Amino acid sequence: MAGIRLQRLGKVFGATRAVDGIDLTIPDGEFVVLVGPSGCGKTTTLNMIAGLEVPTSGDIWIGDDRVTDWEPGDRSLGMVFQSLALFPHMTVFDNIAFPLRIKRVAPAEIERRVRAVGDTVHVGHLLAKRPATLSGGEAQRVALARTLVVEPSVFLMDEPLSSLDAKLRVEMRTEIKRLHGTLRSTFVYVTHDQAEAMTMADRIVVMHQGRIQQVGRPLEVYGNPANRFVAGFFGVPAMNFVEGELHAESGGARFVAQALGLSLPGQRLGSGPAVLGVRPEHVRLVSAGESWPAAVSLIEPLGDATLVFLDYGGPSSLVAKVDAEEKLAVGNRRSFTFRRDRIVLFDAATGGRLST
Amino acid sequence: MRQRGFPLFPLVRHTLLLAWAAVTLFPIYWMVMTSFKQAAEWVTWPPRWFPHEPTLVNYVKVLTPGTSTFELGRQTLKILKPIGDSLIVSGIGSLIAVLLGSALAYSWARFGTGGRSYPYNILSIRMVPPIVIAVPFVVYFVTLRLLDTYTGLILVYLATSLPYVIWMMLAFVEEVPVELERAARVMGASRWKVLRSVVLPLTASGLVVTFLFVFILNWSELLLAMTLTNTEVSTIPIQLNKFQSANEGRDYGPQAAIGTIATLPVVVLGFLIQKHLLRGFSFGLLRK
Repeated sequence: MAGIRLQRLGKVFGATRAVDGIDLTIPDGEFVVLVGPSGCGKTTTLNMIAGLEVPTSGDIWIGDDRVTDWEPGDRSLGMVFQSLALFPHMTVFDNIAFPLRIKRVAPAEIERRVRAVGDTVHVGHLLAKRPATLSGGEAQRVALARTLVVEPSVFLMDEPLSSLDAKLRVEMRTEIKRLHGTLRSTFVYVTHDQAEAMTMADRIVVMHQGRIQQVGRPLEVYGNPANRFVAGFFGVPAMNFVEGELHAESGGARFVAQALGLSLPGQRLGSGPAVLGVRPEHVRLVSAGESWPAAVSLIEPLGDATLVFLDYGGPSSLVAKVDAEEKLAVGNRRSFTFRRDRIVLFDAATGGRLST
Repeated sequence: MRQRGFPLFPLVRHTLLLAWAAVTLFPIYWMVMTSFKQAAEWVTWPPRWFPHEPTLVNYVKVLTPGTSTFELGRQTLKILKPIGDSLIVSGIGSLIAVLLGSALAYSWARFGTGGRSYPYNILSIRMVPPIVIAVPFVVYFVTLRLLDTYTGLILVYLATSLPYVIWMMLAFVEEVPVELERAARVMGASRWKVLRSVVLPLTASGLVVTFLFVFILNWSELLLAMTLTNTEVSTIPIQLNKFQSANEGRDYGPQAAIGTIATLPVVVLGFLIQKHLLRGFSFGLLRK
């Protein structure tokens, strides 16, 4: 069992700063998801923890050991790769037995442990097969079994589900999370899929351009984003952004944009260009109160809810997520408002969070 | 449906190909037939398409141990020693080239050893015509006392084979996903263990193909062998070349026998390469 600590960790490839001096502490037994768009440095960070990339600067601690310059094999971790990296010239049995053979475990013991772990992840019946003959889900389980068999204290996973179809991905997602519940080992999971991050993580680490943007529990990151990047990264459909101006008022502030203005009592925000962010589920169709008129330009029924595109006179339409029962048609004129307590404001220039 | 009715085009194409095959294969056919003919049948008119009295006498003649003789206007060349010499220089030269070249290819593919243009520089060595390097080699070899030695010819074949080996092995090494090696290393495998258990099995077919390919090249190389050897070392192409003009050496039967013996390994190895090439790339089923 071991936690992980990254200290001012950096990696430079030529002129590119892939990872820009990040600090992160992952307590023992936590399921941490590194998430971000491709090229954000999440895989490089994972590879440095694994020892597959040598950091340009900074240190990595696993448990009480400074492992920065240790060989990958000495760090007692298990890793599942994006391509799964099953050895094509070996049977499933030999694939799972490979790490045990390297550790010179006795043959009888290898046999026992491979069969045991094979049963745990339901690949017991595949042991004689070659990886090329497995289905995507089976190959996924074999890769998992090969990692599990040595009982590592840290699991590293690099987009392990990206090769699976949507349905299987959701299944495996649940299974990996359940596995973490049983093992209580430290999991570091890399993905670009915000749904995977939200559903699996104890804590999410959002990365962008080699830097950590925010670290927090899934609902915290979703509901209380640290900046505009994080706000836009999570949520389907994405958060609505409205560009406008903030004006300080007595007893609060007022946000004014094209065809839209609302007062924010009790908020001390200063003045200047700002961006208002509101998630589709916090845009409400109303008939009374402070609201703005709009025309329904598009309707996307999801089944459990309906997405409504509202043309209110601004530069782009707003998306509202409304009850599926709501009677709507394209061309309808409706009034909308925002859930005030869920509005977030960002500095227009830096993208940093403004509201308290 | 692209084609209907009588398939005219394939018929024409196959006829042409068959005709071309006949043109190219006829000399080989004639050589093999002559090698089984008695002396009386070598130059009869009308020509005999098959030996009427097939014989192995030509093979016995060239394969008996001893040195080559020259009597009654006919030379009898013995080829047991040339076969041995060819096997030694082509075999050892190709083997070392494959060992060194695949190590180079691996280190370039994985670590970029030597810089981005390294394989191209190596390839440019191969673009120099052998005749250009033959004479300088003689000068060096005299100084180094390598003229007419196995070591000398092995070194030359090693140098000329290396570019081919590096380029062929580059393709095979790059077929092995680097994540396989990384996975093995995370599991605790040393770099050597990774090479032995992952890279070697996955490139084995490539190694075989590459070895066979450069072996064939070296087996049939004439110019450098001629220039750099004299009496001590004598490869099969040199021996074949020793048959003089029709005036002196009208020993067509033994000549054909030697030709057949020299051609046989090339044909066999050629077919082996085809088989292995297919196997070599069948691991393309890897999930990427």
